Amino acid sequence: MVAFMSRKRISTEAAAPGVSGQVQRLSLFGPPLLLRGEDAAAYEHLLARLCAAKQPVDIIDDILIGDAAASEWEALRWRRLKWTLMQEDVLKALKLFLIGQLESNYALHKRHFKRYLAEILRNKLPTEQVDSAETLAAECAPHTDEANEKLDEVLGSIGLEMNTVLDDARAAKAKELVQEYVRGKQAAVTLVHKLLADAGESMDTFIAKALRDKIDDIERIDRLATVAESRRNACLREIDRRRADLGQTLRRSVQEIDGELVNPPPAE
Amino acid sequence: MKKRGVTSERKIAANRANARASTGPQTTRGRAHVARNALRHGLSLPVGSIPALSEEVEPLAREIAGPGANAATQELARRVAEAQIDLRRVRHARHQFLCDTLSQEYYSYTKMRMKVKILRALLRPNPPDISMEALEFATSNPRLEGPDKLATILLEEAKELLAMDRYERRALSRRKFAVRAFDEARRRGSRDCNH
Repeated sequence: MVAFMSRKRISTEAAAPGVSGQVQRLSLFGPPLLLRGEDAAAYEHLLARLCAAKQPVDIIDDILIGDAAASEWEALRWRRLKWTLMQEDVLKALKLFLIGQLESNYALHKRHFKRYLAEILRNKLPTEQVDSAETLAAECAPHTDEANEKLDEVLGSIGLEMNTVLDDARAAKAKELVQEYVRGKQAAVTLVHKLLADAGESMDTFIAKALRDKIDDIERIDRLATVAESRRNACLREIDRRRADLGQTLRRSVQEIDGELVNPPPAE
Repeated sequence: MKKRGVTSERKIAANRANARASTGPQTTRGRAHVARNALRHGLSLPVGSIPALSEEVEPLAREIAGPGANAATQELARRVAEAQIDLRRVRHARHQFLCDTLSQEYYSYTKMRMKVKILRALLRPNPPDISMEALEFATSNPRLEGPDKLATILLEEAKELLAMDRYERRALSRRKFAVRAFDEARRRGSRDCNH
């Protein structure tokens, strides 16, 4: 399942030299806790980037960086889940909207219906009539009374019902349009926006509806993401605190050594 | 009101005989099984009481303490190691729980219960009027997939996940203070060396 996790790969920049050794050392703490479908390479990369940024100096730093990476991964997981849940609902609502539009405006999917019908006929007609599938589809597709009568007759002969086929064709076209819209195909984007504008709707309407329907899930997932983020921040703060302490100790030692060199104790 | 009399000897003897007959499983396997009845995830057990985990503490503590550490530093390093192993155990338990639940083909007890309730109502001699929506829900595919499944698990297993989160929070807190104590001891040690 959770294939959505590997959808977005973190951009891979070269890690600092020596980082791979640290990452290898971090892997001693056990395998990363990934869910099915999550990208192990992306996790490794995240760990490498944190190592490069924080440069661990001892095993406690390693532990804290490992934790920060795990918490960050979890926060990413929950944020992606939230986004996917919303996206799914929004696209479902868009598909329903498009089905309605296709129902009221046959011209929008006339060509698609012809192709769809030809495909059905090719699969269902007896072998000797398969060659005539395209012609039959062209004759039945125009959506006139005469053509509809013929369509009903042809579909009846192969055990199908006209309305069901029309519904399925609309659903298939709407699905195709939604997929193209998600991929950002210009023609689909323009058409969807035009249909939405003509109907006095917008994507925001669907987003608001999805948010209303999923608000409990979103809230719960948000809480999990916040917990993971605050744990990640706590780990990073802890590393910084240890660095500051180390810096202070080093400064004090240097001052003491300086003092001893400038004012050497009197020789006995 | 019914007057309560003294329990008769016969009844006492019968109660005792019944009690003797129901003292749980008799076989070794049965006894071993019920011994784990109250064990849910075992996260409340200290790391030291689990041999497999306590074996991991010492090497990690040695690495944290570093070579030539004195006894006090070693003890503090052991505390850090224990907290770290405990934290890892809690995280593994939560991860395993999520993985196991995600791998269940037909997940969602709540939805399943609601479906059974609707179908039972429909099978009664005089079935009530049921909305088309409810009927569609009852006959829909019970298999949840993808993000919906994970979201449902987070909803239905919230209590269990929250309990595990509490263990994780405690382990994190223990480790934080153990690390601070260890750092402080090491700092004091290096200061003493300089003097």
